Amino acid sequence: MNATDAATPTKARRNVFSLVQSQEATLAVFLVILLAGLAIATPAFMDPQNIRDILVNASFPAIAAIGMTLVIISAEIDISIGAILAVVAVLTGNLALIGVPIPLVFLIGLIAGTLLGALNGALVAYARIPSIIVTLGALSFWRGLVIYFTQGAWIYNMPEAFHFAQRSWLGVPIPVWMMAVLVVLAGLFMRFSPLGRQFYAVGGNRQAALLAGIPVRRRLFLVFMLNGTFTAIAASIYASRFSVVQSNAGLGFEFQVITAVVIGGTSIMGGTGSIWGSFLGAVLMAVIATGMTFLKVSPYWLQTVQGSLILLAVILDVLRRRRAGAAAGP
Amino acid sequence: MTQDTQTASKPRFRVPAFFRSQEGLLFVILLIIMFVLSRMSEQFLTTNNLLALTRLFVEVGLMTLPMTMIIITGGTDLSVGSMFGFTSVMLGAAWQYWGLPLPIAMLVALGFGILCGSFNGLLVTKLKIPPLIVTLATLAIYRGLAFGVSQARSVRGWSEGFQFLGQGYIGPFPVQFLIWVVAAVAVALFLGRTAHGRYVYAIGNNETGARFSGIPVDRLKFALYAFSGFMAALAGIIFVSRVTTTRADAASGLELDVIAAVVLGGTSISGGSGSILGTSLGLLIISLLRNGLTLAGFKGDATVIIIGAVLVLAVWVNRLFAKQR
Amino acid sequence: MPEPIIELRNISKSFPGVQALSDVSFDVCPGEVHALVGENGAGKSTLIKIIAGVYEPNAGTVRFDSQTVQMLNPRHAQEMGIAAIYQESSLYNELSVAENIFMGRHPSAGKLGAVDWNAMFRESEEVLNRLGVQMDVHAKVGGLSTANRQRVEMAKALSKNAKVLIMDEPTASLSQHDVEALFSTVRILREHGVGIIYISHRLEEVFELGDRVTVLRDGHRVDTKPVSEVNQGQLVSMMVGRTLDTLFPKRDAEIGAPVLRVKNLSRRGLVSDVSFEVRSGEIVGLAGLVGAGRSELAQVLFGIYPAESGTVEISGKPAVIRNPRQAMALGLAYVPEDRQSQGLILPMKVRENITMAILETLTRFGFVSYGREDQIAQSYVDRLQIRTPSLSQLAMNLSGGNQQKIVVSKWLASAPKVLILDEPTRGIDIGAKAEIHRLMSQLAQQGLGIVMISSELPEILGMSDRILVVRKNTIVGEYLRGQATQEQIIATAMGLDNQVAEGGKTVERN
Repeated sequence: MNATDAATPTKARRNVFSLVQSQEATLAVFLVILLAGLAIATPAFMDPQNIRDILVNASFPAIAAIGMTLVIISAEIDISIGAILAVVAVLTGNLALIGVPIPLVFLIGLIAGTLLGALNGALVAYARIPSIIVTLGALSFWRGLVIYFTQGAWIYNMPEAFHFAQRSWLGVPIPVWMMAVLVVLAGLFMRFSPLGRQFYAVGGNRQAALLAGIPVRRRLFLVFMLNGTFTAIAASIYASRFSVVQSNAGLGFEFQVITAVVIGGTSIMGGTGSIWGSFLGAVLMAVIATGMTFLKVSPYWLQTVQGSLILLAVILDVLRRRRAGAAAGP
Repeated sequence: MTQDTQTASKPRFRVPAFFRSQEGLLFVILLIIMFVLSRMSEQFLTTNNLLALTRLFVEVGLMTLPMTMIIITGGTDLSVGSMFGFTSVMLGAAWQYWGLPLPIAMLVALGFGILCGSFNGLLVTKLKIPPLIVTLATLAIYRGLAFGVSQARSVRGWSEGFQFLGQGYIGPFPVQFLIWVVAAVAVALFLGRTAHGRYVYAIGNNETGARFSGIPVDRLKFALYAFSGFMAALAGIIFVSRVTTTRADAASGLELDVIAAVVLGGTSISGGSGSILGTSLGLLIISLLRNGLTLAGFKGDATVIIIGAVLVLAVWVNRLFAKQR
Repeated sequence: MPEPIIELRNISKSFPGVQALSDVSFDVCPGEVHALVGENGAGKSTLIKIIAGVYEPNAGTVRFDSQTVQMLNPRHAQEMGIAAIYQESSLYNELSVAENIFMGRHPSAGKLGAVDWNAMFRESEEVLNRLGVQMDVHAKVGGLSTANRQRVEMAKALSKNAKVLIMDEPTASLSQHDVEALFSTVRILREHGVGIIYISHRLEEVFELGDRVTVLRDGHRVDTKPVSEVNQGQLVSMMVGRTLDTLFPKRDAEIGAPVLRVKNLSRRGLVSDVSFEVRSGEIVGLAGLVGAGRSELAQVLFGIYPAESGTVEISGKPAVIRNPRQAMALGLAYVPEDRQSQGLILPMKVRENITMAILETLTRFGFVSYGREDQIAQSYVDRLQIRTPSLSQLAMNLSGGNQQKIVVSKWLASAPKVLILDEPTRGIDIGAKAEIHRLMSQLAQQGLGIVMISSELPEILGMSDRILVVRKNTIVGEYLRGQATQEQIIATAMGLDNQVAEGGKTVERN
């Protein structure tokens, strides 16, 4: 018999902020256990410098994961963010090299990423081309363009001011501040903004959303555009982190981010998910990557781990949905 | 298939039926491209060059055959590039690390291809997970296995006999070209002339109706995904023979070319229609476009630009035509 | 009676091949439960879809709030204050009850217009309370029972101040307890002044809940009356009142040994301990109300949903059927209820549809023999008089009657021993109906055992040698040819025990 029978009295009111769904809680626990295990296996892991490195490594995937979370909640997919990242990284690097003022450099980069996202959005929302096709094409198109323009050359010798990601404030690296601020803001947005809630409707039951008067096409366009913006921010961190920008920047980045989002509790079929969970997922992925290095596991296994985690999360999601549907019963 | 429609007034000049179909249109585009390319480079139109070109598209071409059928049923297989990479790595591993004789190693590679494809098929038919999501995940898993098993080390030193597959000739034709022609004809006959081939179209047009008609839907879909793995492995073997080395990143991103060729050839991304002939024309056009870009100075990897654009445009145009009908 | 909130005048609606509604007038007043009854295919669903803005009428006017309107699309209808609860859900499974009620209209607070969650939970509880319902508004809708999901939909309608609420077979999958709860909720809505259109095939509900009742039959409105002025018997007569004409040329066939024997067939939720047999040359009619479980029985038998227990024997030999392919191989054939999505592959050609089930037998060295295919297809086109310009015509371009003939051809081609026909003449013209009935007689004479599922009582009475009545997924009655009347069958189908006639057998059921 279902716990939500009509006869059951209303449960006690819950604090809005403690609306942590079970998956995030599980993830947080898993993260803690993993950290504990690694700390025991290789004590050097818990060295403050290492923790700082992990957080910095997680910062730009986490920021990109914000945008990706919105896309996946809306029941779409974007596998082109690696290419968008490359475009923005290469663009900002080159602009800095030729002496453009640094703030303007990153502003242009932001606009570029947003425009690329908007292009994806227009093709999905208005030309009605499936998002997998649009972003598969975009992935190749922009990456090919980057290769053509860079001729494979790496970019270095950018002015010092460019490398903001290498600096800290109050002992915490700038990228980590950015991650924290953006994750909190985005989390609040998805929780408290009517627009944010509409993304859940668009992904959860598109027909119902249409009937409810939600401008579905405009929302789809917006979500891809926002994804471009967040990817651009991530790209800025990525580009300014080291002293070079490689021409194959962002290769496989989309998988890293999608894995983070999916294991963070966002269902790849849309309609549910949280920024907080994706943040935890991004941190977890960074811990796994660093942990593998510490445990002397070859980094070449990373992609296998990513794909397996995605598959595991999807299978669990499918089983969970089926069980929920069966329990609901007649 | 062209339909006979009654035209209210017959124009005095009737374009033959073939050219009014999508295949006809593609054929015309193909000729145009060939003309343009022949102007760009004098060597282009020579038999030598054209035959040499065929070597390059066979690997993609073999994978387009099962992909056409999978997309007709309304599914998709994004993992073909990764299965290609993984099975070619396993070929090297079987031959060099396990010391198996070459023919057995090739069978092992093919076996792994079938295994990977079957895994995809299982998840799609038994767990009912959308093929897009399954193959997105396995794209990462199989590529990861390719890197993990090989540790990015290459296997070299292949025998002359083996190299014949990818670099030799039978008569004036490159060996793999003939392999592809045989495979393409076989699959075309299967799709167009056999009962199970028609079932593929039925599933794509109305899966429920197909089930109610006694068609073994799950078994057929499973077989298609397994076949996709097999073809990826075959393509991988030919690749290794052609470049005489294994690479963990082989065929990275090649799923793009495969899907673009299929869609350009007139197969609707929502399923129900498509043909091997169309796919082959799409394949030729894409290969020539790539070749043309190389002639124009784009480095090898940069030529994906055109494929990405073609993919999106082809689907868009397909949708526009579908609405008119 | 106050002014009607919505009024339909002289509405007609037709689809290719069938006139769904002819000159129907219908209205609903605020604070009234107006029941809409009729057999399947009478036009109820078309009528409410016009009200909900899904279809546009071919003729007639719609007046809402005393103004003539044109319902452009479902969203427009919603904005005007028309809400509908169908079988398909328009809820978000992954979101909470509260948010489902308020999606798109979230209560907001503060300068930034942020979602006020506390207000939303509070207000949704209030709305549910007004309906007499208590529910955890934080719970995800996906895990709720059907009854609770309905309550959420009703709360949604109430919170939007809907003026008209359409409920289409709301008790179809509810337990008795839930049905009672539903009734009290509906009464509360009525007190709030909502006009409710209530469609149900369960006449007892009409009398419990309804203020007025309208009976539709064959696309016409038979009558509209206050519930207090009619009784069940009169309603039944109005619903079925046709005369048995000689439309059904049933010839007598020699009835032989059983070709199908079913014992204790069960599958949870679909079929409940069913036993019956069909003899060669016999036509067995399966009667029952919508949702009684007749199609489900056929589909379990045919292997679409394999049985969980029980035995099946075909021509005396035990048969294990786990999928349609096996069923076919053993001599069963099933012409489905929904010919467009289950029976045919509409974008494919006539000849391809006809040969779809037997295609593998038409091959030579693995290749389909076009010659044999054409031969077989043409033979059925001739035999069943299928009107098509050519064998290459796409099935979607044919009329309903001809489409149905194609589906029947497909299954005849498999040379079955037992042929199950699910609503074989629904939605097709008179001429085609007669042809199909003639065909059924012929087939019976040739020794086939035929099971005919139909909601048209004259058809059941005219064609069947024996009539089995299905109710709640099991068989509750059996009548022999010539020993039953329409009223008796309906009564058995509805479980009205006081109308059992002599000559009819009832099977004891709780």
